Amino acid sequence: MKKLIYITLFILPLFAVAQNIDRTKSPLPGKAPLIQVADPVKFTLANGLQVFVVKNTKLPRVSATLALDIDGIKEGEKAGLADLAGQLLKRGTEKKSKAELDEAVEYLGGSLATSSRYASVSSLKNNFPKLMDLLSEVILHPALSSEELEKLRTQTISAIEASKDEPDAIAGNVVNKLVYGANHAYGEITTVKTVTAVKVEDVKNYVKNYWIPNNAYLIFVGDIEPAAAKALAEKNFSSWAKGTYTRPKYEKPAIPATSYIAIVDRPASVQSVVSVASTVNLTKGSPNDIPSIVMNNILGGGSSGRLFLNLREKHGFTYGAYSSIRPDYQIGFFKAESSVRNEKTDSAIQEILNELNTIRNSKVGDTELSQIKNYLAGGFARSLEDPATIANFALSIAVNHLPADYYQKYLTTLAAVNASKVQEVATALLNPAKMHIVIIGNAKQIAKGLEKYGPVKYFDIEGNEMAAPVEAKVDLSLTPAALMEKAIAAVGSKEALDNLKDVQLKGTASVMGQSLEMKQTILVPGNSVTTMSMGGMAIMRQAVVDGKYSVSQQGQEAPMTDDLKEGLDESAFLAPEQLYLAKGYGLKIIGGDKVGGKEVIDVEVTTPSKKLSHRFYDAKTFLLLKTSKSEEVPGRGTMTQQQFYNAYQTVNGIQIPSEMIIDMGQMKINVKYTDIKVNQGLKITDLK
Amino acid sequence: MQKLGNFLLVGLCSLCLVQAQGQTIQFEKYTLPNGLKIILHEDHSAPVVAVTALYHVGSKNEDTARTGFAHFFEHLLFEGTDNIKRGEFEKYVSGAGGYSNANTTQDRTFYYELFPSNQVDLGLWLESERMMHAKVEQVGVNTQREVVKEEKRQRIDNRPYGSFITEVLKRAYKVHPYRWFTIGSLEHLNAAKLEEFVKFYKTYYVPNNCVLSIAGDINIPELKKKIEAYFGPIAKGTIPMNRPSIKEPPLGGEVRDVIYDNIQLPGVFQAYRAPKQGGNEYYAFNVLSNILSGGESSRMNKSLVDNKQLAAAAQSVPFFNEDDGLFISLAIANMGVNIDTLEKNMDSVINEFKNSLVGEREFQKVKNQITTEMVNSKATMAGIAESLANNEVYFGDANLINTELEKYNKVTRQDVLNVAKKYLNKDNRVVLYYLPKEKPTAK
Repeated sequence: MKKLIYITLFILPLFAVAQNIDRTKSPLPGKAPLIQVADPVKFTLANGLQVFVVKNTKLPRVSATLALDIDGIKEGEKAGLADLAGQLLKRGTEKKSKAELDEAVEYLGGSLATSSRYASVSSLKNNFPKLMDLLSEVILHPALSSEELEKLRTQTISAIEASKDEPDAIAGNVVNKLVYGANHAYGEITTVKTVTAVKVEDVKNYVKNYWIPNNAYLIFVGDIEPAAAKALAEKNFSSWAKGTYTRPKYEKPAIPATSYIAIVDRPASVQSVVSVASTVNLTKGSPNDIPSIVMNNILGGGSSGRLFLNLREKHGFTYGAYSSIRPDYQIGFFKAESSVRNEKTDSAIQEILNELNTIRNSKVGDTELSQIKNYLAGGFARSLEDPATIANFALSIAVNHLPADYYQKYLTTLAAVNASKVQEVATALLNPAKMHIVIIGNAKQIAKGLEKYGPVKYFDIEGNEMAAPVEAKVDLSLTPAALMEKAIAAVGSKEALDNLKDVQLKGTASVMGQSLEMKQTILVPGNSVTTMSMGGMAIMRQAVVDGKYSVSQQGQEAPMTDDLKEGLDESAFLAPEQLYLAKGYGLKIIGGDKVGGKEVIDVEVTTPSKKLSHRFYDAKTFLLLKTSKSEEVPGRGTMTQQQFYNAYQTVNGIQIPSEMIIDMGQMKINVKYTDIKVNQGLKITDLK
Repeated sequence: MQKLGNFLLVGLCSLCLVQAQGQTIQFEKYTLPNGLKIILHEDHSAPVVAVTALYHVGSKNEDTARTGFAHFFEHLLFEGTDNIKRGEFEKYVSGAGGYSNANTTQDRTFYYELFPSNQVDLGLWLESERMMHAKVEQVGVNTQREVVKEEKRQRIDNRPYGSFITEVLKRAYKVHPYRWFTIGSLEHLNAAKLEEFVKFYKTYYVPNNCVLSIAGDINIPELKKKIEAYFGPIAKGTIPMNRPSIKEPPLGGEVRDVIYDNIQLPGVFQAYRAPKQGGNEYYAFNVLSNILSGGESSRMNKSLVDNKQLAAAAQSVPFFNEDDGLFISLAIANMGVNIDTLEKNMDSVINEFKNSLVGEREFQKVKNQITTEMVNSKATMAGIAESLANNEVYFGDANLINTELEKYNKVTRQDVLNVAKKYLNKDNRVVLYYLPKEKPTAK
């Protein structure tokens, strides 16, 4: 029997509106509408699969979602396994290839999606039984083929590689790792290493162990009778074998004794990503649950939240500042975050902490509170337009073990939240003295003065603690010219360099998981050709031959500039320092620094066309370890390109860089030269 | 046996085409003496209401020396009115649990608010205030100029390939006002005087150029009285509107160009000149577009993305309007793929349409997908209100929301072949190559 419960929407109800309107004031709301939160029809199959049916005949369509009640699975050295398994499910079955499956779904005008914990189908009602057949085929008889796994793995690794340079992605990973700890499932980080470790057997085991009916819900929404849904559920899923599953329980992560600063040094950053985070004792359905939503929205729930008004509108540190709070059966989570200009990092942390203190120490005003409550109540009402909302409510009640009338009472509970309660939950949940304050940014520029918030610690992008970057103490007594001489001598003796006639380097350049052929030829004096190609086809070619300059990409010639010409001239030297001394370049020793743990001397080079770059020489061997060049790009801020020289090979007494990383911020190219030949007697005609 | 099975399946699906039409959207349509058209759809299935106002003004109505005006008004008209203080428009909306936004095309501007249904009066008040006496003042103009500047930076300059529509339009049209995109020119906006903005407002933001479309948990007789009270007193507009009647001549040969942008992966954008919306050819084109890129099993995804792995993404975009439109086919190359190779493969996917009829099963698949889409488009009150208003303004036929599926059903495989042959030709297209801007730096 369908049960409807009528409850009232609490936005100040009022009397009938007079026909003579007064347009100088906003009209009062009409009588509060009845909000109907229906109970779905529920039944359980013999194998334990729990089925919910939300009948809604407004449109002739139906969807079915399988949802597993799993979370917090520790994947350890195979982090990312669950996501790979989820995606692999829909890439073919025992009977159908991926292409055949895609076509079968789309021929029915339907859709099918899978993830680590969910699988769903939807279509018009006539075709729906066939979509259910496909859903069952995908879940009970997936192919889980190694070919498709490899395709997915390549894509996943490319995405991870790309995200290594994204400060927001780094922040997400490091905050989780620090807040939950390495021993908690929520603190795990998916890396290239962990994704590489996943084998097809692991995926099969995952599906076998976790995709079990007695820990799953099948939810129908749409134009379908409960009896028909039951028949479809039984036809397709009664043969699904039971398994065993126990919800894991983790020890509550330790709360830091005092707040501390965790810096992930990212020298290329022009903005700091600041997160102030902690675990919170908050579970869904607890007395603090709904009040905590109100509190969080006042603090940082969008463009009317206090964090936004303070950090953006009042101070102009940032484009946005927000907070979020999440209840969880293991342990809840709170975070306030903002991306701020480097020089405002300290002030932004101060203002975030101020707002946390304010919401704890003083009561929220009536207008602010009622605005937020109206906003949340209206959002609740509007969410009911989607019939899936009712199904989500039912699922949430089941997996979070909530009282059956939790959502029916939602608005009443929300209406009862007063200023005292807001202050009470803020005090109970937020402790500004015990926060993880995580910053992804340029340590050199931002770290000073942060000790006042607590101990300052340093971490790598995977959240492992590391030593603080030390101000390198190197001997800076050399003149720039003397340093250049030493750098040249490090590459090779005068005799060895004078004897050099030609060099040919061949190897690979790998970019976002793809491997390209890389070749550089130098012919003394002043000729150089570098090509990057794929399958014999040139993707990029830069050359200076016989005084003619050319740079092309994908066969398209780039317009030539003085800047490019200078770069090409340099590329014809194994020790371009020879050029810097001969041609009146500007040289300035900036100071000491560290590259890859080694102490280096930082030299600024100004070219004749007034372009600046930095070169970092090993303070002991004087070999070049890194170069860096920054440019203003309109609309994107400063773009920095860094090049790391990770290994040299000695050929004919000359040090030739054999392994390099070209880091362009969003993209990294790894170059490895495996075939190095010197003085083969090349001629200018060999360069064309 | 196999054959029979397939045949039956086709039979069943044509049945579902017919049944899906059963989903009739009832509505009431009338016009106030001041020319305001009103469309009301009553549906009590959820306690929500969408209040929308569609003004028949887009970038094509603009002065050639004042491009960007229509879109600029989309921002300006949130600034305030005689009775709504600056910056308070949004506060009224969110304080009532609502949501509001607006968008502008080359043909029209659309404003909407979504509310719990007991706030419908607030929606009427806000929209009538906007129409009756919005504040068109220097302070608001200055503020919104900055906002539009940021929007252009974020959406066009800073977004990879974000300029492609602008770049395509200025090459695909020579005389028609479709040659500029809605964002227009910041120089034009900077040069415009306040009285020009006031005149634009008084010309186009008038009841006789608007459709007020409301859908949701409403009581029609009661609502009609309130609409009369809020909108009745607004005076009819009398300034003549610029309604261009320019026919763009044929392109007269392929146009090719290279754009350097802040991107990592090169892209190919092919824009074919196409007919205007609403006719048989338009429906045939939409079917063709679905065959090309509607879903994982579509031709572009299967061939360019999955099998040959030439493209990271591939898509077709029907860009249809009140006047002659465009059909755009685009692909972003995978790392290391030669852009010419990519374009050749895009061409061969397109050329298949000209050489042979689409297979029967594939054709049926796409019809089934479209049938599902048509049903899904009726899922929200906001979607229904917008469809009703669009159909009324473009075709004088709000009821098209109920009959459009028939138009798709009439499309034959031969129709698809015909539009492909007629329009998808080299001399009828603009091709843009997008290449990374950062020039390779020599070592």
